[in-house]
Amino acid sequence: MKKKIDDMKKNFSEILELPKEIMLDFPKITFIGNLQLYIENHKGIIEYGSLRIRVNTNAGILRVVGKNMVIKTIVMEEIVIVGEIDSLEFT
Amino acid sequence: MLVIRIWNYFRGYVIIKIEGFTLEKFINLAISKNIILWDITRVDYTTLSAKVSTAGFKELRDVVQKVGCRVNVIEKKGYPFLVSKFKYRKMLFIGAILSISLVIFLTSFIWSIDVIGNERIKDEEIIKVLQSLEISEGIRKSTAKKADISNTLLLSIQELSFANIEIRGTKMIIEVRERSLAKIEIEKDVPCNIVALRKAVIEKIIVKNGRALVDKGEIVNEGQVLISGTINNENSDFPLLVHSQGNILARTKYNQIIEEPIIKTIDEETGEVFTTKEIVIGKKRIQLMNGEIPFKSYLEEKKIKEIGDLGLIRLPVVTIQHTYKEVKRIIIKQDIDALKHTTAVQGTQELMSRIPSESSVVSKDVRYMVEEQVLITEVIIEVIEDIGVKEKLTNTH
Repeated sequence: MKKKIDDMKKNFSEILELPKEIMLDFPKITFIGNLQLYIENHKGIIEYGSLRIRVNTNAGILRVVGKNMVIKTIVMEEIVIVGEIDSLEFT
Repeated sequence: MLVIRIWNYFRGYVIIKIEGFTLEKFINLAISKNIILWDITRVDYTTLSAKVSTAGFKELRDVVQKVGCRVNVIEKKGYPFLVSKFKYRKMLFIGAILSISLVIFLTSFIWSIDVIGNERIKDEEIIKVLQSLEISEGIRKSTAKKADISNTLLLSIQELSFANIEIRGTKMIIEVRERSLAKIEIEKDVPCNIVALRKAVIEKIIVKNGRALVDKGEIVNEGQVLISGTINNENSDFPLLVHSQGNILARTKYNQIIEEPIIKTIDEETGEVFTTKEIVIGKKRIQLMNGEIPFKSYLEEKKIKEIGDLGLIRLPVVTIQHTYKEVKRIIIKQDIDALKHTTAVQGTQELMSRIPSESSVVSKDVRYMVEEQVLITEVIIEVIEDIGVKEKLTNTH
């Protein structure tokens, strides 16, 4: 049932060209080079270290691997990670 | 962002250390309670450090209890903490304000006067004029009227063509320009004579305009008229006045006498040194002596250090280090031939700087005389130069 609603939402947003992150409650991720990473619409932190950060989102767990990573700011909607970011993957 | 940082500074924030195992849970709980954490860094496996506003820190208490970790304040930062610090240390605050106001007060005075751009006029002469205006070191800046000073300077010292007063920090800089001494060129249509610049023997005389009064081989004195601009007219009673022109090449002599004692006493240092210090504040001198100078004959060396010069402000504080070096008198008889050579070279050099550049040297003669153990060297240089100088004809001629 839930999958059906999600599919409908997806199609609906595609037809009307609405931003998907709002319709589907997905994270919006913005990179600035490999120095800074914005994650909007996150669902909390799962793991936090200077080499690896895992963030929970609606699209799955986002794993950020890098060096000297610091959480610059963290609020309800947004995380800003600063450091040398090597890779980013959904697991 | 700078705006946020300034905002945080004025609101005040604390740097905290969080110790525990489930620190991710701590962060998640904190953000769910709308507590803003920033600059979160992982120190090691069980510790985090973060910044949180003072209001947020109070709300963190619940989170801490739930997660079961420990929170310590490492540092308090921001304007509210600075103010509360001063609440307990009133004297520090008063002292800070006093010192700032003292600096402001002291910089409203002129502490030094510099005169630049003068070559012939002495500094003292300019400063004397300033003193007549009651301007000296230590007056208030507001009493020094720049326009008045420059006007008075220009009026009282005729040789000045320009005076500018600038106050830079606590320094008053007086920039002056002197009137150039360049010969005033006589206009082509003004009648004039040509007179001798110095005593000389005429070698050649070329007259382009005017009447020559001297001949080749004649000895002329300084100021003697060589080419006259007054030409007697046979047809009228009044003489014709012309602007005389011409070149007069003449042989002139320059000499230089140098006296050098043959027997010389030289002070040779023995290596023994005695030092004392002195502090000069304004006109007061404070001697820091430790005993009398233990030498019979000595050389004194002064090392002046301006410790009051702080760049912007110059306080009249100077330390002087006197170094007394013990010396032994030794009498040396110098080699006459070597001495003759050096004095001749020295004399020639001094002469060459005096001789006008356009003249050509004809001969050089060096004479030596020994008188009472003193070698007198006379260097004579003969040159051929143009000695003619234009002089305006006045009505009395």
